[in-house]
Amino acid sequence: MAYGRAADTDGNATVKRINFLLRLAVGGVFVYAGAMKILHPQLFAHEIDQYGLLPHAGINLLAITLPWVELAAGLVLVLGVWVRAGALVVTGLSIVFLLAIISVLARGLKIKCGCFGTVGESFIGPWNLVLDILLLAAAVWICRGAKEEK
Amino acid sequence: MRRTIQRALIIVVAGAALGLLANKVSPRAIPYITPPKPKAAASDTITLEEATQLWQTGPAFFIDARPPAQYAAGHIANAFNVPAEDFATHYRAVAPMLTPDSQIVAYCDGMDCELSHQLAGKLRELGYKNVRILINGWTSWRTAGLPTQTGTQP
Repeated sequence: MAYGRAADTDGNATVKRINFLLRLAVGGVFVYAGAMKILHPQLFAHEIDQYGLLPHAGINLLAITLPWVELAAGLVLVLGVWVRAGALVVTGLSIVFLLAIISVLARGLKIKCGCFGTVGESFIGPWNLVLDILLLAAAVWICRGAKEEK
Repeated sequence: MRRTIQRALIIVVAGAALGLLANKVSPRAIPYITPPKPKAAASDTITLEEATQLWQTGPAFFIDARPPAQYAAGHIANAFNVPAEDFATHYRAVAPMLTPDSQIVAYCDGMDCELSHQLAGKLRELGYKNVRILINGWTSWRTAGLPTQTGTQP
């Protein structure tokens, strides 16, 4: 029994370490993505427009608000407060991004992702899909693993 | 779970509110409602004489819409390079220097070159009001003996 308990504790420690690293990684990605877009709102609006998914009049409003939501969700994950809620927001955002990427690939559009500003980025391809699915999986993992804070 | 959802909503609403506030005070603020796309008209072109005058006297920005290799081989002196085919990447480098009222002259090469039109269209979409196209820009500028440069963008 004692061995079993010790093994459990070791397992928990490993899971905790993984949770911690994932939290920093996913939070960091969202902080970076948000910050890069905040620096160039006009360019981000242009990129949202390229997706052709939103009514024209609403594009700027999304370009103004979305980067700050990403930044806020990323920050709570990095700081370790409201982790579950932050992971839930990241899950939601990743699902929306996933649908947008799939729609771009399905239509065969040659556009930039706009995910992290645009320095050196190539056109949207399967790689964007993979990265987004990884983020989504990590966010779901964090959300399930984190305890509800008081 | 209910508490998590409540907090997630707070993150979203607070983030969005911060964004709206930041856009009020930011020097890079954009209109909350996207302005309609402007249409290009024939008057959006500029003659070589006017362009020369702008180049010599005014704070006009000349922007070369051709690919970097052609730009490096020779371009209008002091012109920037924003290849129309890779607009987003190169636009970032010049964006901090431009204001919506900046005088901008876009050019490429040849009477039928589409790149300057594409570039001008994108710049107008981004809200720049004074964008004009110098048709057959590189050839007419060079053959008129006006100042040119070679090399990549500084």
